[in-house]
Amino acid sequence: MGRTKDRLEKALRERYDLSYLEHLAAEKKVPVFRGSFWYYFGGVSLFLFIVQVVTGILLLMYYQPGEQTAFESVRFIVTRVKFGWLIRSIHSWSANLMIFSVFVHMFSVYFSRAFRRPRELTWYSGFLLLALCLAFGFSGYLLPWNTLSYFATKVGTQMISVVPLVGPTLMEVMRAGKEVSTATLTRFFGLHVAVLPAVFTLVLGAHLMFIQLQGIAEPESWEGAGAERRRTMPFFPNFVLRDLLLWLIVLNVLAILAVAFPWELGRKVDPLASAPAGIKPEWYFLFMYQSLKFFPATILGLEGEAVGIGLFGLAGLLWFLVPLWDARTPAGARNRLLTYVGVGAVGFIIVMTIVGLR
Amino acid sequence: MTARAWVLAAVAAVAAGLALPGAPRAEGARAAVDHCLGCHAEIGSPEAKGFRADVHFAAGLTCADCHGGDPAQEDQDQAMSPARGYRGRPRPEAIPALCGLCHGSSPNRFQARFRLDDVASAFNSGAHGAALKADPKGPQCVSCHGVHGIAPVKDPRSPVYPSQVTKTCAHCHSDPAYMKTFNPGLPVDQYAKYLTSVHGQRNARGDARVATCVSCHSNHAVLRVRDPRSPVYPTRVPGTCARCHSDVRYMADYHIPTNQYDDYRRSVHGIALLRNSDLNAPACNTCHGNHGAAPPGVGSVENVCGLCHQANAELFDKSAHKEAFDRRRLPGCVVCHGNHRVAPPTDALVGLGPGSTCASCHRGAGDPAAAKILRTRALLDSLSLGREAVEKQLSRAEQLGMDVSEARYSLKQVNQAQVESRVQVHALEMGPLQASAAPGIQVISKARLAAVEAIREYYFRRQGLGVATLIITVLALLLYLKIRQIERRQRKDEAR
Repeated sequence: MGRTKDRLEKALRERYDLSYLEHLAAEKKVPVFRGSFWYYFGGVSLFLFIVQVVTGILLLMYYQPGEQTAFESVRFIVTRVKFGWLIRSIHSWSANLMIFSVFVHMFSVYFSRAFRRPRELTWYSGFLLLALCLAFGFSGYLLPWNTLSYFATKVGTQMISVVPLVGPTLMEVMRAGKEVSTATLTRFFGLHVAVLPAVFTLVLGAHLMFIQLQGIAEPESWEGAGAERRRTMPFFPNFVLRDLLLWLIVLNVLAILAVAFPWELGRKVDPLASAPAGIKPEWYFLFMYQSLKFFPATILGLEGEAVGIGLFGLAGLLWFLVPLWDARTPAGARNRLLTYVGVGAVGFIIVMTIVGLR
Repeated sequence: MTARAWVLAAVAAVAAGLALPGAPRAEGARAAVDHCLGCHAEIGSPEAKGFRADVHFAAGLTCADCHGGDPAQEDQDQAMSPARGYRGRPRPEAIPALCGLCHGSSPNRFQARFRLDDVASAFNSGAHGAALKADPKGPQCVSCHGVHGIAPVKDPRSPVYPSQVTKTCAHCHSDPAYMKTFNPGLPVDQYAKYLTSVHGQRNARGDARVATCVSCHSNHAVLRVRDPRSPVYPTRVPGTCARCHSDVRYMADYHIPTNQYDDYRRSVHGIALLRNSDLNAPACNTCHGNHGAAPPGVGSVENVCGLCHQANAELFDKSAHKEAFDRRRLPGCVVCHGNHRVAPPTDALVGLGPGSTCASCHRGAGDPAAAKILRTRALLDSLSLGREAVEKQLSRAEQLGMDVSEARYSLKQVNQAQVESRVQVHALEMGPLQASAAPGIQVISKARLAAVEAIREYYFRRQGLGVATLIITVLALLLYLKIRQIERRQRKDEAR
């Protein structure tokens, strides 16, 4: 074993200059402080993305989009294909955990001000990854072609239509027609398995590259602190092994969830049937969906829902551009407004999601 | 004109003015001298002669009430002058409105006195009213009641008196040339059939209490059979028949039971038709006939039931039961299923125990047919009880979160096998019965296997999860120990 390793290393060294990797392994450090735990959510998100890719490819071997095949092929996967039920259940659970993990990662970066100069591009690319995750979730939700997914997509795409001027056209582009149909299904399928993975991989590559180039952000409390307070650990092997440990724990949680609470298949779409009572979008869209319900029908002569969507769009844009408007206060690095906005956003999302779930 | 005539005319004018506008004058307000009637009687007019015997003449109406004009005028030109409202022979399509002046909804002096109903509106709302609107040759008041000699409805001479009314209706309804101008699809043999029915025969013998056309179809507001408001619309037929046939006092003289409707509405047919509004389900007329209504004879019962239950009737006819029943003059299907109170057929009908109909003839285990009966029942049970048991197993698998929808869906095929087997029972042959039941039994076996497999898979998954969790946990633990070991070594290196 040892000899094989030595021979392999020798063969590689003869062919490649590995000094960069050696330098990286030896020099890359991760700050150790009270909030170090939050660093791991980036890695967990990455792990779950890998799970998504692997299980997604396995599902792709059997899934067939189409009016007569989409639902039937998913049923075939969960009933006939060996461990198909497990793969599908893991894919669904992992998707949800990934979005949760990405949200946590984003807020940890936000509250630790890790988006600040010079890491603006890391923030922008991360935000883009979150948006892509949501697009993954939205497009993937329709693919089993069951009643719930059909009507949730109908409601979701309907919301886009209230955007002034471009709304109806945008909705038709999303639906590939005036109604949610098999054309929508194949469009979403194409997005889910080809377009989004390609874009996501590129953006993820850029995101990881930015981190690699700049190193992991240090906590605010370290600014001006002496070297004795700046405790670090080597990225390799310490942080990587810890990451791996957490990945194993997440894998365990995933396995338990997938087996104990298998993802339901539901009933096949019947476009002529009325929408089932209490139809709701996935939990990660619930806070927006629920908030829109509280808007009056009209606000200053404009459609209430359109105003709500406009406000969410504006809030999302401001969130995206936080590195631009987060001006440091003259007194120091702290910007309390940022904390208030962040706490408000988290509180709002949690409260609205709970209200929506009830 | 003489002075006497002028006086009479003045009196007549005052009397006419006292009458309600539009409505005929009341009795007592009749013109002192009705020159119309006088002259027409004088020239031997049959109309005038008939009118003297008309119920309307007795009530005080004059010719002018229908024909217009001025009966006080002795001069023909004056009396029949359009200027004096003379309209001559009313146009057919205008007759219902004319009769409706008294027999309608607008107030008039005769309403209370003769207790007149608003039959004009009823007529207009019905199929006859619609036919008249479409074609002036259509039926109107005088088509049924006659003219210039109209007798009261209760008068046996009236064309609408029970013993006459069927002939009156047949006048049009048995005329194919006439009927096809209005409703080409409507049969024209109702009267001929009616004469063969129990109702018709009694009616011909002078029984005015038996059902005639109007008893079922109503009189003035006759509606098409397909109109849900019609008393002969399928779902309303049993209630219509029951109006007489469930009336104990009314039926007392006929010495027939009056519980048919009560039995029927509880029967599988009654529930299907009356509760579930299944228009394919039989009503009274499906088995007894409508116009030719008569109880089916002993020998024709299976033919009647066979109208719908064709396969059952055919198999029965070829079975050993047919000959045995005929020999004993037993009424076919009714022997096992009853007549008006046909219960939903269950497998329990087959067997030797209490509640089974076989037992009423085949008594005890010693009967030569006992073994076959028990085998038949066992086969039926293997479908019904087998399905019940496998459904429980599938429910258990579903409660465990397993997807057995395909197996559950496949059980629908058992229905077909059950229906076919239950039909095949009528042939009393084991071979075809087994062939009918076999596909169902096969589906049940497959579904049972699927349920067992799903439940086994559930526990396999749990065990697999346990093993996987254990392996991952051990790996995580080893990794944790490895991290500690590495960091301990790093600290030692740093300390050096």
